Amino acid sequence: MSSTRPLFTASFRAGASEGFVTFLPLSVGLVPWALVMGMAMTSAGFTPLQAMGMNLIVFAGTAQLGTLPLIAGEAPLWLIVATALALNLRFVIFSAAITPGFRGVGTLLRWLAGHLLTDGVFATCLDKMLHTDDPRWRLGYYLAPAVWSWALWQTFALVGIYAAGFIPKQWSLEFMATIALIVLLVPMARVRPMLVAALVGGASATLLRNMPLRLGVVVAICAGIAAGFAAEHWEHKARNA
Amino acid sequence: MNYDNSLWLVFILIGLATTLPRAGFIVLGNRVALPPVLQRALRYAPAAALAAIVTPDVLVIGGAVEVFNPKLAAAGAAVAAAALSRNPWLPFIAGMGVLLGVRYMLGG
Repeated sequence: MSSTRPLFTASFRAGASEGFVTFLPLSVGLVPWALVMGMAMTSAGFTPLQAMGMNLIVFAGTAQLGTLPLIAGEAPLWLIVATALALNLRFVIFSAAITPGFRGVGTLLRWLAGHLLTDGVFATCLDKMLHTDDPRWRLGYYLAPAVWSWALWQTFALVGIYAAGFIPKQWSLEFMATIALIVLLVPMARVRPMLVAALVGGASATLLRNMPLRLGVVVAICAGIAAGFAAEHWEHKARNA
Repeated sequence: MNYDNSLWLVFILIGLATTLPRAGFIVLGNRVALPPVLQRALRYAPAAALAAIVTPDVLVIGGAVEVFNPKLAAAGAAVAAAALSRNPWLPFIAGMGVLLGVRYMLGG
């Protein structure tokens, strides 16, 4: 590891300021998310300490929102973890794609970078990370948006946690978590095979809702993946025919 | 909640299920690579998982599929807002507005 060298070199700072300026307008979208996250955790019955604990340990809106109903509904632990894994699987692909951008960066910073990887940071940083030589500049360009996202997320989740306490129960604020999941799903479903994966996943989960241990959700996710993959193949064949 | 005593364990496990997929390749570097077929299949996991969580939540009321219910109307409004607008707040305003509005009209 190259930890003996100073981290905040001039080229790190140059990369950081360019990354921050590029990401700043996009990061506004995080604010409603974090507010909703805080409110949803409070609605699920968490104390402020528990809610902030989850927010700090997990740091992933989708995985948090997706597992909340399962935790509140007393689903078995393995299903909660399996659902979190399924919701995070896209990051295996993002992680593999952005890895060459961390050549010349130490192990500890790689762990930090991995923990802070989000959809927005990935989309913002991938191109520059892969096409810049200076490892300090690249690291700055990645870490500035990543740390900024983290700070925004934690701050506004905390605001949401305390705001939820002032809002009457019959307003059904927990439904905002469902809306948040819909907001994530809609842009994905613009691609035809993704739409097929979502429709099959949703329909299967509804039909199989009485399976023991909420196994229906897992079967539905697998069915959705298979259907999406099949639709992709079919579309590809139709185009080449 | 069933998880009152083990809630922190649940958080840590969800945290591992979150950070390991993100950090895995970055930490291991280019020593390992995922088979391309698996990579392509895994792209569908998030859409399938999100739909599998959301759909029963808005379709099933008291154990039975209920096509006319305030939640489904609200979900429809949220989908429309998310599809037609780039405003990040609009799906929440539209969805919550329809949910509470329809409930009010039904006298709930």
